[in-house]
This record gives sequence, C-alpha cells and structure tokens, in this order.
Amino acid sequence: MSLSPHTTPSGFLLPSIHAAPPFFTLQPKAETQALVTEQWTRLILSYARHRRLFYLRVEDAEPPGSDWDEVLRNDRINRRLPPSHLSYILDDMVSKNKAMYEPVKQTRSVLLFWRLPEEWAEVLHDWASSTAQLNTILTFFEIVEPPVPSQLSGIPDTLLRRAISILTKTNRAQVIAVSDGEGVRFLAGNVSK
Amino acid sequence: MSLRRYTRSVDGTIPVRALLYEDEDLIASQDGIGIYDGTEKSAPHQSGTAHATTHRLFYIDAAQPIARSFELDLVHVARTEHYAGLFTSSPKITLHFHALPAPLSAGDDGAGSAADDPASRSWTCDVCAYRNPPGLSPAASRVCALCGVPRSSAPNPAVDIPGSAAPPTTPTRSPTPPASADADGEIACSVCTFLNHPALAACEMCGTPLPRRPPPPQQQQVQARSAPASRPTTPSADDDGPDTRMIRLSFRRGGDKAFYAVLRRSLLGKGWEVKGVTKPTNTVRSSVTTQGHTATLSGINGILRTVETTAASSQNDMEDALKDLEALMVKWRDMVKLAQDLNERLTAVSTTAPATLAPPAASTEGASTGPALTTQAVEPEEATFIRSSLAQLGAQMPNAPVTLDMIRDERRWVDELARELAGVLQGTGGKGEGIMRQRGVVGLDEVWGGWNRARGVALIPPSTFLMVLPHLPSHTSPPIQMRTLAGSGLSVLHTPPFTRAAFAARLVGLLALVGPKTVVEIAQEEAIPIGLAQEMVVEVEDEGEICRDEGGAGISAAGLSQNGEVRWWVNIFRGYVWDGQTD
Repeated sequence: MSLSPHTTPSGFLLPSIHAAPPFFTLQPKAETQALVTEQWTRLILSYARHRRLFYLRVEDAEPPGSDWDEVLRNDRINRRLPPSHLSYILDDMVSKNKAMYEPVKQTRSVLLFWRLPEEWAEVLHDWASSTAQLNTILTFFEIVEPPVPSQLSGIPDTLLRRAISILTKTNRAQVIAVSDGEGVRFLAGNVSK
Repeated sequence: MSLRRYTRSVDGTIPVRALLYEDEDLIASQDGIGIYDGTEKSAPHQSGTAHATTHRLFYIDAAQPIARSFELDLVHVARTEHYAGLFTSSPKITLHFHALPAPLSAGDDGAGSAADDPASRSWTCDVCAYRNPPGLSPAASRVCALCGVPRSSAPNPAVDIPGSAAPPTTPTRSPTPPASADADGEIACSVCTFLNHPALAACEMCGTPLPRRPPPPQQQQVQARSAPASRPTTPSADDDGPDTRMIRLSFRRGGDKAFYAVLRRSLLGKGWEVKGVTKPTNTVRSSVTTQGHTATLSGINGILRTVETTAASSQNDMEDALKDLEALMVKWRDMVKLAQDLNERLTAVSTTAPATLAPPAASTEGASTGPALTTQAVEPEEATFIRSSLAQLGAQMPNAPVTLDMIRDERRWVDELARELAGVLQGTGGKGEGIMRQRGVVGLDEVWGGWNRARGVALIPPSTFLMVLPHLPSHTSPPIQMRTLAGSGLSVLHTPPFTRAAFAARLVGLLALVGPKTVVEIAQEEAIPIGLAQEMVVEVEDEGEICRDEGGAGISAAGLSQNGEVRWWVNIFRGYVWDGQTD
C-alpha cells in the first residue's frame, strides 16, 4: 500500500503517514506509540505555524468544524483522531516543552510552542529593532495589533509576556507601568549574545 | 358371596413380593389351601397358596393364577376362628368380616377401579409439596410421607373422568334428584337413571360418575323413588348376614397353626393403620387407632429424620463403594504382576520347548529331559488359551504405558515419557497421525488430555508433564518446543515455524505483501485458532514489528462495518521520514 502526501485546501502539505489508518490509533506498544507521537507533534506544530494557530483543545477532535479538521480528521481513509489519543499527544508535548497548558491546572487545552518562548523573544526584539521602535514605550496592544501586520500579530498574551520576561533578563527590554496598564520599552542591549 | 365383595382379584403370575405396598411385609406363606366362601366350598379356589402380609391376605391359585387369584384386605376382618380338623376334615381358619360401610367412596379400599386406588397414583402434598410416590398401602397413602399431613381430598372426578364434562341436568331431561337413593342404598345415575349398586363409583351402564350419597339412608321412606320399581338394578348381593360374611381357609397340607399365629399377629398389629394420624371418619376403626406407637413420622421431626436417614444411607453406600475401589487398587498391582509373570513363563516355555524336544543324542543332555517333560505338559492350546485370557483381562499390554515403577531412574523415566509423548504428538513410526497432525501449534491442555487418554491408565500428573516437556525436542522431528504466550499465560507446543521470530517474520512478510489484515484473516492464513492467532499477533506487536489500526473512530457510518475489528499493519512508523510540510 503506497501512501502519498496530500495538500489540504488551506495549502498545507500533509505527510504521507497521515493517510495511514494506524496513525490514528493509540498504539499499546510504547516504542511504537513514541514514534507516532513524535510524528503527530511535528504535524500539529507545522500546521499551527501554517495557520498561525496558538491553541489546541481536546475538544477540537470531537465534532467537525474546528480549525483543526484538516489534521485531526482524514475523510479519505475515514479516520479521525480519538480525543483520548489527542489527550495523550498533548500530554507528551507539554512534557517535552512543545506546548504548555493554558490556562494552567487543566489538561484539556494547550498553548502550542511552534516557536519556543526564546525564539519568540528574538522575533520580538528583531521586530522592534527593524521597525525602529527601540527605546520607545509600547503597550502590549500595539505589539499584538500593530498597524502593519507582523509575525507577532495575534500572539497570545501569555506567550508575549514570557517572551518579554526573557528579554528583560538579558536587559533588552524593560516593563514599565503606564496609565492604561503595562508597557514595554525595548533596549538595544548587547547584540553579541 | 362375601368372597366377591371383600376381595379383589390379582394377577397371580406376579410374585407376591412385587404386589406388596412399600410399607407392607410378607410374613408367611402356605400352599395347599382351599377356600370356602361362607360355609360352602368355593369351587374355583381349591388349590393354591396363601400368603399373609402385614396388610393383606393373598390367595394365589395354582391352576389358574391369572384368573382366580385374589387379595383380601385384613382391615375387613372382624374376628377369626381356628378349627383344628378332625379325621378327614382339614384344619381351617375362619375369617369373619365387618359389614361393609354402605357406599364406599371412590378413594376407599375395596371399591373403585385400580385407577381410583390412591395407592396406585403419586400425589403432591398441599402443605409441603412433597411428591408422594405410589406404592404405599391405601391407608399410608392418605397422609403425606414427608410431613404427615393428611391428604386434603380425593382428586376431583371432573378432572379425572372425561365423561363428566356433560352437565348433569339439561332442561329437556326430567328433573332427577341427583343424589337419590332407594331403600337398598342403590344410587340412581343422573344421566341414564340406572340404579347402581352403592359400591360403584361410576354408573355401570354409561360410566357417568355417580353422585355421592351424603347421608346414610335414614329417612328412606321420605325420599320418593325417582323411577318406577321396574328399573333394572345391579344384581343384588346375597344378603350378608353375619353368618355369611366370612370365608374359610382350608389347610389341606397342614401348616395351619403357624399360619394362624402369623395372621393373628398381623391383625393385632394393624399395619394398615397409619400411626399417629387420625384416619378419615368413614374408616371403620378410627376410634381404636393406637396412638401409643412412638414412630411418628409427622412434622419437622419427621422431615429431619427422613433427611438424616437418606444422607446416612447414601454415605454408607459411598463408603462401601470406595472400600471396594481401594481393595481393587490394592489387588491391581498383584494382578498385573501375576499376569506378566505368567506371560513370561509361557514365552520361556514355548521357546525352550522346541529346543529340548529335539532328540538328545548325547547322554549329557539327560539332565535336561526333566524340564523337557514338564514343559511338554503345557499344551500349545492351553498356552494360547491362557494368553488370550490375559489379553482379555487387559493384562498383557504390549503397549504398556511407561510408569515410574517400571524404570527406577527418574531421569531415564522422564526421557522415556518424552519419547512416548513424541509418539502421541507425531504418530509412532511415521504411521498414523499424532495430536499435532498438520497443525503447527497445539495447546498444552489439549496435549495433556490427549496423552492421558492415550495412556488410559497410570495417568500423568501435570507436574510430571511439565517435567517431560523440556526433553521433547530431542525426540521429535521437527523439534517441538514449548512456548508461553505473554498475554494470557497460555502455553503451547509448536513446531519450528511457530517460534517467535519465525512467526513474526512470516507475519510481517504477509502484511507487507497483501496489506493490512485482521486477526481472523491471519488465523485463516496460518490455520490456527483465532484466540491463538490473537495471542501470537499481540506478541509480534510487542516486538514492534507491526502496529494496529483500531478504526473504531471512523467518521462516516459507512465505515462502521469494518470498525470494531483491529486491522494489523506493518509498523509503518519505523524509519518513517517526514514528507509533509516544511517551513
């Protein structure tokens, strides 16, 4: 049986393994399941990056109509990812720092790290410097919803804060209380890093 | 005519013991008996045997036992007389009877047909639901054998007799008083108006059940006759005055004294009365029922005692049987040894006989003539006879199972057992089919059962069986090995193609070649039971060679048909290289 990659309507190239029915089954054999989880993690993160999705919930596997249908379901082979399997994958992703539970103290919903917070910090700093906004005070809103769309558009607040805190530790950003909440000032810092 | 009225005919060809009730005992018998009906000789009953029991007196005719034999319930006997005999006159016993109670109910003794006799039917007690067996005497069958509660009522005649389904009176019929009885106690049939003898339960003419007559005919003159006097009636019995209500037993061959004594004892013992239970009021001697007897069979005590007795007797039987078995086991070894000894001697004799029978030329052979003579005594026919007898006893045993006492050395014993098991598994000497036949895998339980069935005696305990198994590969070709499946702990014996690695390789090859398969398909392909296939496939999965597609999470209903069953795939994740979206 030959499997081939498939391009979704949204222009995402699904891997060939997505057309294999066993891919959707939670394998009892731990070693086999580790391989399956690894591929799913990669698939989920790629798709999230492709569609700029930040959240994945176990409920997304239940009824059709969510943003994740193209990945979590495969109508061509009549398979979908059971919620129990998805829950297992999410757990594994969190344990490998590929995602974090958001909100905390529950396991049904995760914030995906298709970029790690450290990478986000770099992206943030690069964006600030490339748009010549170093040393200016920016509100969080101005970062998340900039006049000119950027990679940071729509970034969740949690992720943004973590990125900023990373920058603060390296003295490249400074959190300042402003009148309507908080603001941040990016500093040039030591680019050497 | 008292003979006809008080006795019932029996089939004299049946042994008397078979005619007895369950609670009745045969006490004495005397042949050479003649019967007098009243004061006159009864012509048909002049030569027969009389049997006295606790309940009855039997007369079995010698010439025509079927037609002329009869039984007499001792309950009817009022008193007896003994006449010692004089010159040519034989000794005689005279039995005087009570007057018969006017209408005998259907359930009472002496009247009704055999079907109405309560003793001949089993019935269920209303109180304890114990099903009373038939065969008890009429009196004993009136009370429940288990709880001692009297039987509630005679069975409903409407159920038993189909003819009674018709309504007794119809508008067209003249209104006949159903219970009318005339001066003689005769009962008018409600259907055909025939006047029946009071002893009858059903009409003599049409078989309709007769109405019971409730009161004794005290006010006969008040009751008008329902029919003219010219109606036909049952031929009336002789008027039974006290002098005619008797029969005599004439002892033509003596034995009268002993028989009379026994009879007296039976009459005094009143075995027909159920002890401790008041009888129905229409029975003659209810007032003199002896309450003093201790063996009450009623109530909880009675039930408990019955249960105890039953348990004790079955316990005794079981112990006896086990003792027999133990005795047999003690003797068994000696028997076999003796048989083998005999067999060996016969073999030795038959081999030495021809040699010694050759004419001894040299004088030195003279010593051997002695044994030669003795061997000649055993004829070949006798030898074959003995041997065939031994074979019939099963003691010859050319294929005797290997037992521990045959081979002292335990290691050799196990080895021999392994050789024997190999024969059972693969067939001996290339002929015949063993348990394995064409199969590659067979369960340990089946092998054990099959082996012991093949041995028949000296069965192998499972512990020994497990000891033998490691020796099996050296005696089998191809070598048969044991393997325990991890999933259920099931152990199997298998040929080399079913070792773990071989099976995994074959399965992976199969899946790669023809695509995913279910366990059932794999079982078909491998010709092994499905349960076994499941176990073995799971083992292969455990090695990571294959993976499963449970398919239970199908999207459309169309796919449900194949859902629920796991399809097995080659492990496609191994060595998979990402061929999807890359940034």
